[in-house]
Amino acid sequence: MSMNTTSGRGIGARLRRREDERFLRGQGEYVGDIRLDGMLEVAFVRSAVAHARLRGIEKPAGFEDRVFTAADLAGVRPIRAVSGLKGFKVSEQPVLARDKVRYVGELIAMCVAPTRAEAEDIAAQVFVDYEELPAVSDMLEGRKPGAPLLHEAWGDNVFLETFVDGNIAEIARRAPVKITRRLRTARQCMSPIEGRGVVAQWDRRLDQLVVISAAQMPHITRSGLAECLGLDHGKVRVISPDVGGGFGYKGILLPEEVCLGWLAMHLQKPVRWLEDRREQLTANANCREHHYDLTVYADNDGRLLAIDCEATVDAGAYSSYPFSACLEAAQVASILPGPYKFDAYRCRTWSVATNKPPILPYRGVARTGVCFALEVAIDAVARAVGREPWEVRLESLPTREMMPFDNITKKHFDSGDYPECLRRAVAAIDVGAIRERQRRGEPDGRRIGVGFAIFCEQAAHGTSVYYGWGIPMVPGHEQCQARLTPDGVLELRIGAHSHGQGLETTMAQVAHSVLGIEPENVRLIHGDTALSPYSTGTWGSRCAVMSGGAVAAACKEMAKRVAKIGAHLLQTDVSLVRVADGQVIGPSGSVTLKEIAYTWYRAPQNLPSDVDPGGLELTAGYKPVRDTGTFSYACHAAVVAVDVEIGTVEILKYVVVEDGGVLLNPMIVDGQIYGGTAQGIGTALYEEMPFDANGQPLASTLADYLLPGPTEVPDIVIEHMETPSPYSEFGQKGIGEGGAIGPPAAIANAVNDALKDLGVEITEVPITPARLLSAIAAAKVRSAA
Amino acid sequence: MKTVNMKVNGQPVTAAVEPRMQLADFLREQLRLTGTHVGCEHGVCGACTVEIDGMPARSCITYAAMCEGAEVRTIEGLVDDPIMSHLREAFAAEHALQCGYCTPGMLVTARDIVLRLPDADDARVREELSGNLCRCTGYVGIVRAIRRVLDERKS
Repeated sequence: MSMNTTSGRGIGARLRRREDERFLRGQGEYVGDIRLDGMLEVAFVRSAVAHARLRGIEKPAGFEDRVFTAADLAGVRPIRAVSGLKGFKVSEQPVLARDKVRYVGELIAMCVAPTRAEAEDIAAQVFVDYEELPAVSDMLEGRKPGAPLLHEAWGDNVFLETFVDGNIAEIARRAPVKITRRLRTARQCMSPIEGRGVVAQWDRRLDQLVVISAAQMPHITRSGLAECLGLDHGKVRVISPDVGGGFGYKGILLPEEVCLGWLAMHLQKPVRWLEDRREQLTANANCREHHYDLTVYADNDGRLLAIDCEATVDAGAYSSYPFSACLEAAQVASILPGPYKFDAYRCRTWSVATNKPPILPYRGVARTGVCFALEVAIDAVARAVGREPWEVRLESLPTREMMPFDNITKKHFDSGDYPECLRRAVAAIDVGAIRERQRRGEPDGRRIGVGFAIFCEQAAHGTSVYYGWGIPMVPGHEQCQARLTPDGVLELRIGAHSHGQGLETTMAQVAHSVLGIEPENVRLIHGDTALSPYSTGTWGSRCAVMSGGAVAAACKEMAKRVAKIGAHLLQTDVSLVRVADGQVIGPSGSVTLKEIAYTWYRAPQNLPSDVDPGGLELTAGYKPVRDTGTFSYACHAAVVAVDVEIGTVEILKYVVVEDGGVLLNPMIVDGQIYGGTAQGIGTALYEEMPFDANGQPLASTLADYLLPGPTEVPDIVIEHMETPSPYSEFGQKGIGEGGAIGPPAAIANAVNDALKDLGVEITEVPITPARLLSAIAAAKVRSAA
Repeated sequence: MKTVNMKVNGQPVTAAVEPRMQLADFLREQLRLTGTHVGCEHGVCGACTVEIDGMPARSCITYAAMCEGAEVRTIEGLVDDPIMSHLREAFAAEHALQCGYCTPGMLVTARDIVLRLPDADDARVREELSGNLCRCTGYVGIVRAIRRVLDERKS
């Protein structure tokens, strides 16, 4: 079959997005835009304290039938996200708190009224009698014996402890360089500009609950709702409309979804809840908080010999569905080695329950933390051996000749040239010019530094990667339903969903590459469990590979079927025709898909007698050749200017060299990298949800939880390498998260480079002015002593 | 309830509103103009930016009742505006949007920049945009799109 790659509209084209027209006219439809006849609004009473026994909940007089608590939710099951990993302790999360509350913002009661304002008025009058308990607000404290217990039956606060015990003793003893660091990343709120939202309604005709939710994984949400509400899957439909950003924040079964589902059935009226920003910040800062005690062993050239790590992840109060409380720490153990080759590895991890919101995987998941920890330590190695940080890295990167490369934790790097990626970043950022500039000094007295981070991004993980974790969701395959309408439009149905990725465009490009059909004549239908095949959804940078593969498979099957009909209409043998340019082309003529579709639906008398009665509507599936995932990789390089008087960091230049394999749409890929990098800059410099010792979140507005704005994000320079993955349909690799992985490491290394003469080394992000100034002050004290 | 008269997208509107109702909620829930998005409800993110009497304003912290006699224009009312058409073209060409949620507010601010500051350089564009947050694009495409419109209007 010929591929339509030369038209400039298929795979590889910077095709403008199908989605844009409606968004640019304010015609997108997000969950908050949906208003159903007779709909009531919900406001939640949320816990004001981090840890308490609930002695009682008093409904305000006169509003008893407008307020619902756990006692009202008969038959509703708690959310249980188990892991099959040995020793995992199960937490049960009641959708409304039952006997205890375990974090500020936990749902206690649901109040319903014609408007949100009235519902909030009722919520304000609900009296909750708390018997306060000491809180665990620091994961290391929570791990200690005698700490207050979140889940008393456990006996401690550890969801899971894992241990990878490679024998490092011999190497550690003879290694000439040993660097030990204690590193931390702060708790963040993912902060899509659109918050979460849910509309629920009981459909009497279909005898079915319809939940409309800003969801990344509508089919998984449906499974979770069915389990919690005790309904057959057939009685639950989940619709995810336009979604205003996800990043992992909307990849979860929400207790609010379960609550509203129950309420819609109970009241037999449509109900709606829209998360406000205060709820989001105070109740849902739920990602990124890692602590590392890391030791790196190297030789005198700075080549890595061994890594020894104890990592703790603050997992929050409950195990979230479907990713569980342990995905993050389990990932730490398996990916801490990063892109490097070395000889021995030991890693112990703890997933610790704390009185904070349950952890969710945020763009990059554990990679952002491990990349920060390891790359900062490697720069310390470089300083110890007196070499350039990039030279030291080159000693330990697997070369192109080694690909595919299995690293020490059996991660299978599928392809690429990692040293070349680093060298291109070194050239693009121009290290020589920076060193010269550092020698000259800055006229304004600031200090300049350059930093690098190199990492790989496993994407489109398959069954072999996930089944061992034994969580409620194991991916493996992806399906697409394809249908030619009677007028020749190709409808594609997939179970994944867009929340900004532009799948309506890229999937049409894939169809165009296979069938030659104009992208305008392709419609993608997704985000509705009633209209799409089951899928684990949009997470793990998997859609380009998995949905793209499924669309290609369906289009190939469609090509066979139209070829058969087309050959008959052309009165020639099927072996003599080809499908291209939206037509079936024979030796002496051609027939369009539109004519073929018309014949199938409207003029069957003209079909061959042995036509496939399956017709022009089909489901096809896709599974990669090998399911260990695609490995994109990138090197980030940053130049910063640090003002040591006021503690500010300005990014002067930022370069990303990325290998995403074959790019389905380079414009969209660039957009993912720009946006991810901006989020990573937030992690590096601005975003932090502090909690006090009582577990109270200390930021409640976007004036104190700082997101990077247009003046904080530089004009990022991107260079592409395009080494095809040997395992995906077109050689594409998942790249959606990579941008958010590198910046904390690259920026911290640049700051440390700028301040190395002062003996300052940053080991914690975000690098706020306060943190930077206290590190500078501490270094002064050390050098004076 | 308080009665308020205003013009929304050129049409006179008279409505009874609660004193605490914000303009954004009034536009979205009562007039069903859902192109104006609500992001933070405390005046930081800029998703709700509309034009009030010719100036960009935060509809999430503007009481509807205070808009007596005001002329309000939302993204829906700017569809036929020539600068907005130009911006739409540039935003699509430069991939200045992903999820689309911040986009209407971003466009209202962008239009104001184009009208008011025809000579703005990129740094000035970024500074003027600093009241609008985008979590998807990293602002690169947005700044390029506005740059493109500024440049094209000169030539």
